[in-house]
Amino acid sequence: MTLPSPRPRVSRSTIVSAIVRKDFQAFYRDRFYLWVSVIGLVAYVAIFWLLPSTVDESITIGATGAGIEQLLEQAASAAGAESEGLNVVAFDSRENLITAVEEGDLDVALGLAFPDDFFAAVAAGQPTTVTVIATSGVPDELRTAMDSFVREVAFAIGGNPLPVDYQEEILGVDRLGDQVSLREKLRPMLAFLVLLIEMLSLAGIVAAEMQTRTVTAVITTPARVSDFLAAKIIFGTLLAFGQTVILLVAIRSLSNQPVLLLTTMLLGALMVTAFALIAGAFGRDFITVIFWSMLFMIPMLIPAFGLLFPGSASLWIRAIPSYGLVETITGTTAYGEGWAEALPNLGLVAAWTVVAYIVGLGILRRKVQTL
Amino acid sequence: MPDNAIEVRDLSYAYGDIKAVDSVTFDVAPGEILGFLGPNGAGKSTTIKMLTGQLRPDSGTITVLGMSMPGQTLDIQARIGVCFEEKNLYENMSARENLDFFARLYGIKGLDADPLLRRVGLIDRADDRVANYSKGMRQRLMITRAMINEPEVMFLDEPTDGLDPVSSQAVRNVIKAEAERGVAVILTTHDMHEADQLSDRVAFINEGLIEALDTAENLKLEYGQRSVRIRSRDGGAVKERVIALDDPDSSDRIRAAVAVEGLMTIHTEEATLEDIFIKLTGRGLEA
Repeated sequence: MTLPSPRPRVSRSTIVSAIVRKDFQAFYRDRFYLWVSVIGLVAYVAIFWLLPSTVDESITIGATGAGIEQLLEQAASAAGAESEGLNVVAFDSRENLITAVEEGDLDVALGLAFPDDFFAAVAAGQPTTVTVIATSGVPDELRTAMDSFVREVAFAIGGNPLPVDYQEEILGVDRLGDQVSLREKLRPMLAFLVLLIEMLSLAGIVAAEMQTRTVTAVITTPARVSDFLAAKIIFGTLLAFGQTVILLVAIRSLSNQPVLLLTTMLLGALMVTAFALIAGAFGRDFITVIFWSMLFMIPMLIPAFGLLFPGSASLWIRAIPSYGLVETITGTTAYGEGWAEALPNLGLVAAWTVVAYIVGLGILRRKVQTL
Repeated sequence: MPDNAIEVRDLSYAYGDIKAVDSVTFDVAPGEILGFLGPNGAGKSTTIKMLTGQLRPDSGTITVLGMSMPGQTLDIQARIGVCFEEKNLYENMSARENLDFFARLYGIKGLDADPLLRRVGLIDRADDRVANYSKGMRQRLMITRAMINEPEVMFLDEPTDGLDPVSSQAVRNVIKAEAERGVAVILTTHDMHEADQLSDRVAFINEGLIEALDTAENLKLEYGQRSVRIRSRDGGAVKERVIALDDPDSSDRIRAAVAVEGLMTIHTEEATLEDIFIKLTGRGLEA
């Protein structure tokens, strides 16, 4: 018999690019993942532009009582710097004040009802009562601040200002005066949400390859398991990174430090791809893919949620893989930070990405080989 | 140049403590169809997985087209075609797109899939998504996919399982044509009828061991019994006699049996491969 001579080997890049191309084809053919991606992207952009872009740092309070205008002038003078950002609106009756607080008229956050004998009582050193009127939604901190404010005013009117001065010493970055609008606060969360949605898409595609065993057909051609894995990494990263870039452009986030932001998002795309490989390897059907994806997605959203609330992030939040990403996006887009501030955070993300790949590729390789 | 397309020597594989394939040895010549016959769990698929590079053997040697596995797995995989039992096709893609993708993995760009699709009767549905295909159409596409690189060796795992007679025949015709082209074919099946129809030689595999390997004819001669079943009317009752052809006095007995009045039917009978499998292993093929 005559056997033909060995055929020329196909280059790894040809094989990997063929698989990547096929994955994009499969992605755009799957209506669910396509719609989730497109609708998500459109919705996030719309939400971003609908959110307020400015921060109103003033508080409006209502007040009522005899000679209230004179009282308010004295109060403002007594409170000095503390009254900055404090708008006081006078009401002619307690009933009108209560109605305004209840219904939020004139943006009145809470009300102070001074008794008619307030001046006389304070001047005579007699006990008197001021009522703070607030709805249940008013934070405790604001009510307590009003208590202190009233006490201070009373001391000032009585000719006994508090014999205490104070100064602030802020540890870490002082963000006083740098208040970030809700729109800015949501910017990293939206970018990260896009990454996570694409993580779900990739996990679904990987799980489908396992379930239908198409991967077995692929690896019995000249394609190696490593080609399959490399293609999935490239596909997942391109998909997530591409969608995020579209979002960043649509919400005009690339004006400051575009290279840094794009590097950050590329690192983020790489990281979520690694988690998608793990979720895809464990996923047996659509429900289990969702379950495993959520298992990673929910904790990774915590740092982004943390931005909505003031205060430093707890140590455990800093240990979440997405923390460095969120911090870098916020620092760059909201506070104009650069590479120097971002590098430690990016280093943390890179370390997490390496760990995720070691685990993800290990699990997926084993899964493919034992099908 | 080797005479055999496939040479397997003392091949073994175990899943933990369970020996799936135990010192299996066989050859397949170019143009030959070797039927691997055995029940589920007999070791057929594990053997195929090792021969196609999906599993690394615990021991033994595999030579395909003169190249050894696993050392030259990629070179071997470039020249073999595999048709799996599972219909592992990309459902959201059309037949043409499926074939084009796999062709690219073999380094074939711009594959003209039409002749292949025409051959299996799928040309009219070439651009439909596979999700809309019937089981028979999917199986024909699987066979087509196994042929896109013009393989010299084909591994076909249950290629007609569950198909209607028309689809089964279409698949069998393709397999025969490929063998005539010089392709060495390993066909795993638990359908003794298919193995009998298609295979040049048959290997009975059971519990990881090859119990017998020969042509179906030789196996029947060696292990089976040929007979004649004669039915005749005897008064009001029907009388049936089975006369073994290998008995020394069989000619006289047949002559006597057909000489009676009321003769109804005469049938020659021979052992099926399943009968022989049961005789050799003590279990059926469907087990």
